[in-house]
Amino acid sequence: MIGSDIPRVIGLKTVIDPYTGAEVYVVPRLQPDWAVLHVHEADELGNARVYGSPFWDRPQSRAAKRVIITAERIVLTEELARQPELTLVPHFLVEAVVHAPRGAWPGSCHPYYDVDRPEVERYLALAREPGRLEAYLAEPEPFDGPLQTADGGRRKKEDGSDASEPAQVEATRNGDVEPAVTSVACPPSAVHRSAGAGR
Amino acid sequence: MTDMAQTSDLMVIAIARLLRDGETVLHGVASVVPMVAVNVAKRLHAPNLVYLSVAGAVDPRLPALPSSSTDQRLMTGSASVFANEDFYDFCSRGQLDTAFLGAVQMDAEGRTNVSVIGEFERPKVRLPGGGGAAVIMPTAKRVIVWRTQHNRRVFVEKVDFVTGVGNVDRVVTPLAVLQRQKGRLRVESVHAHSSVEEVVTNTGFDLGIVEPVPVTPEPTAAELAALAAVDPGRVRDLEFH
Repeated sequence: MIGSDIPRVIGLKTVIDPYTGAEVYVVPRLQPDWAVLHVHEADELGNARVYGSPFWDRPQSRAAKRVIITAERIVLTEELARQPELTLVPHFLVEAVVHAPRGAWPGSCHPYYDVDRPEVERYLALAREPGRLEAYLAEPEPFDGPLQTADGGRRKKEDGSDASEPAQVEATRNGDVEPAVTSVACPPSAVHRSAGAGR
Repeated sequence: MTDMAQTSDLMVIAIARLLRDGETVLHGVASVVPMVAVNVAKRLHAPNLVYLSVAGAVDPRLPALPSSSTDQRLMTGSASVFANEDFYDFCSRGQLDTAFLGAVQMDAEGRTNVSVIGEFERPKVRLPGGGGAAVIMPTAKRVIVWRTQHNRRVFVEKVDFVTGVGNVDRVVTPLAVLQRQKGRLRVESVHAHSSVEEVVTNTGFDLGIVEPVPVTPEPTAAELAALAAVDPGRVRDLEFH
């Protein structure tokens, strides 16, 4: 980072590397209060698998004081334990688990569904208008069919018929803290079953 | 100027030509043009290039490129997961051959700004930020910067904020390929549809022009065929809209 203005504006300090004598920046520990990680599969204890790339999920799960897992599927502990090397986050790091099929929407959760570009653009437009974001977030989830794997997952018509039934939410607590998440916007359970079938 | 699609093709091919067989190459988020270029190079002259994407993929094998350089589909056919902490460490250890980085502003010495326009505490525009640029620019053996605009707002005498500085080797734009020589950016070649005058007029610092300036070779039939095969959906054009 030598030569960058970033160390100056965020107050990074240097030390002399005792092994080489070189001046190096040291970065203070990052410790978010919460990490909320959306995963493909979790069990009710909080063990979580991420298929494909974990991006920053692994260091985030270790750095945060508390972790909330939202999962496309809730599976049996025994199923995950068959291949423990696939479990990215072990249960003892996890505060709560939320069953949230389609939870990454309008982002993607490959291979279950792709990014919903029209919806992202709609969100971006609304988020710029004062007061519209709350209304947007209060909208019912638009899913009425099986998961789409092509670009632009189906959204429901604007007439609002068959608005999503109450989400199927399962929150479990872990440790000595009250569960922080008791509800989350989720699509109907039909989507959940499709997610399972799609694997 | 020529039309957008031709410029898009030429920029991708000019970048692909810079890549070498057997080297390790990384691109980050919002990097559709390099993503296509890497795949073109692998198909042509660099089949053993090791392609690392910010998605964590190692040499993914895809039927078609996704419209985001972060897309999880980039994991398709990947040899392994090489996640963000892995490639940052790899680069910091001095093992990464070539990294692609963007720039909203750039100066003659190749300092880049992707942080703010104006003063940091009271910016006119708060930009997306550097990601890993401050660490990658000095530690990757070679940095290639691309920008789909070439004007005096981009290429400035002094950047408002230095996000990263380091091993910039080439800068590829819609008008030219710049090369850093003895610490300063010079024109390596001007694209056929542009001119030295147009490049100079649209650059805010002295390029030290020494005539004659070479013309960027036009794409060959083989290069265009490879490009069409790699990116039939023309996701590369997304950066030009």
